[in-house]
This record gives sequence, structure tokens and C-alpha cells, in this order.
Amino acid sequence: MLHYDFDWSVLWRHPYGKMLLQGVWTTVHLSLLAWVIALPVGVAIAVCRIMPYRPARLVGGAYVETLRNIPLLVQLFFWYFAVPSLLPGKTERWLYVNVRDLSYVLGVLALGTYTAARVAEAARSGLLAVPVGQFRAAFSTGMSPAGTYRHVILPYALRVVIPLLSTEFLTCFKNSSLAMTIGVMETTGMANYIDSFTFHGLETTTAASLVYLLTSLSVILLMSRIESKMRIPGMIARER
Amino acid sequence: MIEIRNLSLWYRKDHKVLDDVSARIPKGRTVVICGPSGSGKSSLLRCINGLERFQEGEIIIDGQSLRSRETHIHKLRAKIGMVFQHFELYPHMTVLDNVTLAPRKVLNQSGRDAENKAMQLLTRVGIPDKASRYPGELSGGQQQRVAIARSLAMEPKAMLFDEPTSALDPEMIKEVLEVMIDLAKSGMTMVVVTHEMGFAREVADEVAFMDHGRFVERKPAGTFFECPENPRTREFLSRILK
Amino acid sequence: MDLQVIARNLEFMAGGLVVTFEITAVALAGGLLWGILLGLGRLSRIPWVYYPASVYVHFLRSQPLILVIFWFYFLVPVITGKPLGAFVSTLIAFVAFEAAYFAEIVRGGVQSVSGGQAAAGYSCGLRYHQVQLYIILPQALRNMLPALTTQSVVIFQDTSLAYVIGLREFLRRVNLVDTREARSIELYLFAGMVYLVLCALGSAAARRLERRREVSLS
Repeated sequence: MLHYDFDWSVLWRHPYGKMLLQGVWTTVHLSLLAWVIALPVGVAIAVCRIMPYRPARLVGGAYVETLRNIPLLVQLFFWYFAVPSLLPGKTERWLYVNVRDLSYVLGVLALGTYTAARVAEAARSGLLAVPVGQFRAAFSTGMSPAGTYRHVILPYALRVVIPLLSTEFLTCFKNSSLAMTIGVMETTGMANYIDSFTFHGLETTTAASLVYLLTSLSVILLMSRIESKMRIPGMIARER
Repeated sequence: MIEIRNLSLWYRKDHKVLDDVSARIPKGRTVVICGPSGSGKSSLLRCINGLERFQEGEIIIDGQSLRSRETHIHKLRAKIGMVFQHFELYPHMTVLDNVTLAPRKVLNQSGRDAENKAMQLLTRVGIPDKASRYPGELSGGQQQRVAIARSLAMEPKAMLFDEPTSALDPEMIKEVLEVMIDLAKSGMTMVVVTHEMGFAREVADEVAFMDHGRFVERKPAGTFFECPENPRTREFLSRILK
Repeated sequence: MDLQVIARNLEFMAGGLVVTFEITAVALAGGLLWGILLGLGRLSRIPWVYYPASVYVHFLRSQPLILVIFWFYFLVPVITGKPLGAFVSTLIAFVAFEAAYFAEIVRGGVQSVSGGQAAAGYSCGLRYHQVQLYIILPQALRNMLPALTTQSVVIFQDTSLAYVIGLREFLRRVNLVDTREARSIELYLFAGMVYLVLCALGSAAARRLERRREVSLS
């Protein structure tokens, strides 16, 4: 029925086993670096969008709308093909010569800026979820703005935001696979690369699937642990 | 025609919704069930037409047991009509389509036959002019009358009513009760869960009081209201009758 | 800035846009149909329907689309014994993938329809598939319309990933023009703008549908 010789040893045979593991490791640090960029930038943009200062709101809104309506792959190509030529000639040459893994760096930047737009949306939901009355109640008891944020607003907002952020992190982790199109040898790219040598792509892509599946399950398990610790009876966290 | 034997239903082991309930409802009789909320009245109705699955006991309708393997539950449901507290008309269909849907799809009636029958029924419940309207355009009382027509379109052998007037504004209760009284007098077998004691006095053959999943008292209508035996029945009646 | 490069190759790139729309349409229709079955499956009380449906949905939602595309590209010829080509295996991959997302939308939509509606249908003797087809799904789909529109925009963007197996949709064609003309900035800005305009229109439509629904519910 199946016209195929399965050869699962390709997953651990030298050199393919090592290559696969390297690919997974690349996925991990690529996603984490992008996340490290996305989190602060995203939160900053979310704050811009709810500030009572119109230019900030417009800039934040434009950032989010633009980056969310253009496919990540197009943005990635823009970073890889177009951005270096935007730089002055000397800088461009320096980049190509001195930066060893330019694809990787550009991949991180593309993924980071894109994920920041998504984080901005999640963070904005968190900030907006706190009812206005909470601010007023806290201030009326004489609490300072800093104290209000620390004791009243943030605990509430975090309970809405953290589940949303975990979803975004998983999305970022999955999106790291796009970097293979500009030559970054992460999990998916490696699975495909090994296929070009061995013609056993089915086994390698299945292994790659398991990597993403296990990551997803781990994050979901972790999140449900955190959520049960954070749960407050009777409080329903609303999303906008 | 409807026979309930030792029926028990529970969701949690420590709380039985229905506790060893038995009853016989012969053809043509009208039985009214009353009781406080949570007493199991609605669950009992839902067990009779198989909307709710019970753990113990048996229900036999027209000789067919709900439990037996040969019973096709949807065929049994076609023989028993049900009217709900919140009418549950299909909002995306006209009144006429609401009434003709089941006859067309289950009884395989032709569109024209189903529509003729539907118009007859809508006339009988008093609103033939609303046939091409949508449920959202009708008042509560009108919607409930359409719901009754919808059930009657399947030519059921018995009708179940689950607090049919509880969600209605007072001025609309009368028009629905009139339809139900007319139905009872025409010989339909009816099981009605309601607090409308005026209705019970007029057409019920038997009134039953349920509490905590059991029948506390069951009597012919006259004696039920004149001399209730059980203190719980008396307390309940004194609370709902003015 | 040489904008002429866009004008010169417009016909070629626009042809890619047609392919993009074709993939989107198939993925939308197929994904929705399969997603409805999966969504209903996830609401089922029958174990051998519920568990496979849930496993399918959870598994596919944990995967990157690129990997799914590769996986079907390798898998489909193995099952059918002959290579079906990039286009067909891409379509299968998209339908299988997007269905997992539609399943959750459908599940939410069906749950938003009052339980009494199904009870009313069953009371008249209608069977499961009739109740779903005539009573529940028409109402559920109306409720889901904003979410479905948003997901369609997502699918439209996802089609760009078919690039990896060489499918000549819009992005691939822009890329091909770039390798020939080396005018990356103009070309990728153009690509970005096309997507931006089309997707922004789609998202705006979804927001309007959401607002109309909120008004009619109140």
C-alpha cells in the first residue's frame, strides 16, 4: 500500500542526528531572541496605543496594523533582500563580510518586530481589561499612582495578559520555521535539508512535528499550572 | 398510554433529580404537575420524550419502552409534541417554515401539503395572518401559539408542556391558555407543568405536586384543590394561590 | 527608486495573485467544511468521535504551516503512489491545516446557539443531522461570520508559505522578478502594500460585521 521504505535510523545516524539536534537548538534560541525583542517593544507599543496623546496612538496603531496585515514571509524577505541595500554601501559591505550569520540576525529582527505587533495586541487587551473603576477606587483611598499600578492594576492585568502572551510565544516559536526560507538551519529547514541528501523527508518532518508538538504541550501544561495558582474565585478575565 | 415506572435520574450520586417516580397517564387525560423549582418537573418531561437520559426505571409510550433497542427514539419523539417555556422558535425561519420543517423532513410531506396543514393549525391557534413573518416580529404570546402549532403539525398522540406561560407577560397568558384548554377539550393527552391553577381547575383530570424529585400528592383536580392532604402541598398552594 | 520594474512585471505578478486567490478560496471552502465536521465532532458525546477530532485539532494547531506543507508534499505521493504535484498537495495541506482553526471557530459558534433550539428540533422528531443542518448551523454560521472573515484574511496571508515548495503564487512571482531585476526594495514594498491593502480591507469588513452583530443582539 505505501510505496516507501521507511528508514527511521536517519533520525539518529551520524551526521543526521546531530544536524537535527542542532536545528532544534537553533529554533530554540532564535525564538527566544525574537521574544526578547518582541516583549518590551510590544508592551511599549501597547502603552502608546492607550496614551491620551494622539500622535502616539496613531504611530502605535500604524505599527500594529501594518505588521499584522503583511504576511511574515513578505516581511522576512524585505529584511533579507531589501534592508541591506537600504543601508549605505560601506555598511552593507561590512555586514556581509563581518556578520557571520546575517540570515540569522535578519531572521531574529523580522520575527521580533512581527511578534512585537502581536504582543502589543495582547498587552493592550490586558491593560484595557481592568475596569476604570479600579483606578478611581484606589486613588480615592489615597494610593499613589505607583502603588495603584503595583497592587491593584498589574495583578488584574497580568491575569488576563499572561495566557495571551503564552499563546503568542507559541506562535513565535512556530513562526521561527519561516527563517528556513532565508537559509537559517532551524528544525524545519534541517528536516528538509536532510531529505535532500537521504530522500527520507517523511521521517525527518515527522520528527520535526514531534518537536513542535512537545513544545506546545509543555507550554500549555505550564500555563495551566500557572493559571491554577493565579486563579481567583469569581473573577472572570475579559478580553476585548 | 404513557407509563412511567420507578424512574430515577441523577447527575451527582448524592443528589437525585428524580427519585423512584411512577405514574400512568391514560389516553385523553390532562395531567398538571406543579411544584417548586428544582423539584424535577421539567426533567420528568424531558425524560418522557427522551431528551434526558435516565439511569433507572422505565418509560413506556404506547407500548414501546424507551430503553428497548428496537425503539428509534426519533420516531417516538415524532409522536409526542413538546412546548417550551422560552418558545424556541427557529429565528432564522418564517413562522410557516417553523411549522412545516418537521413534517417535511420527518414525515416526508410535500411542501404544499405541509403548508396547507400549517395554515389550518395557525388558524386554529388564532394567527393565520402571521405566517410569513419571522418569530422576532411576534409577541411572546403569539410565538408560543406558533410553537403549539409547530408541535401539532406532527399529529402527536400526546403533548408535553414545560411551563408554557412562565415567560409571558400577564396580558398574553390568557391567549395561550385558551389554546391549551381547547386542545385538552378536544381529547389530546397532555402533561402540563405549570403554576396556572386556573387552567388546572378547568381542564385537568389530575393534579400532581412534585417536590425533591418525588410525587408528594396526586389527586383528581377537584379534591386536590379542595382538600390537599399533605402539609407540603398545602404550604405550596397557599404560596401560589392568592 | 525604479517604479517601472513594477509596471513592467505587473501582469506576471498579478497572475500570481490569481493563484493566491484560488488557494484561498479552496482552503476556505474545504477548510470550513472539514472544520464543521471536526467542530461538531469536538462537541460530540461519542468517545470514538470526540477523541480523534480533539487530537487532530490540537495536533495541527501546534504545528507550523510550513512543516505541514512539507509533510503533505512528502506524504501524498507515498500514499497515492505517484507525485500529484505542488499545487494539489498544497491544497490538501491547507485544507487539513485551516480546518483545525475553523473547528474551534465552529465549536464556539455552535455553543453560542441556545440549547433549547436543538431540544425543540429533536422534540419534533428530527434527527441529529437534520437538527444541525436546518436549525443549529444556520444560526451558528451567522454568529461566526466575523471570526470566519478574520480567519479568511489569515488564510490569504498564509498562502504566501506555498513559496517553499515552489508554487507560483504572488510572493514567489515577486521573488522571481527580484532575482531577475534585483530591485528588492521596490518589489517587496509593492508586495507588502498589496497584502496590506487587501488584508486591511478584509479586517475592516470583519470589524463591521462584528459591530453589526453586536447591534442586532442588543
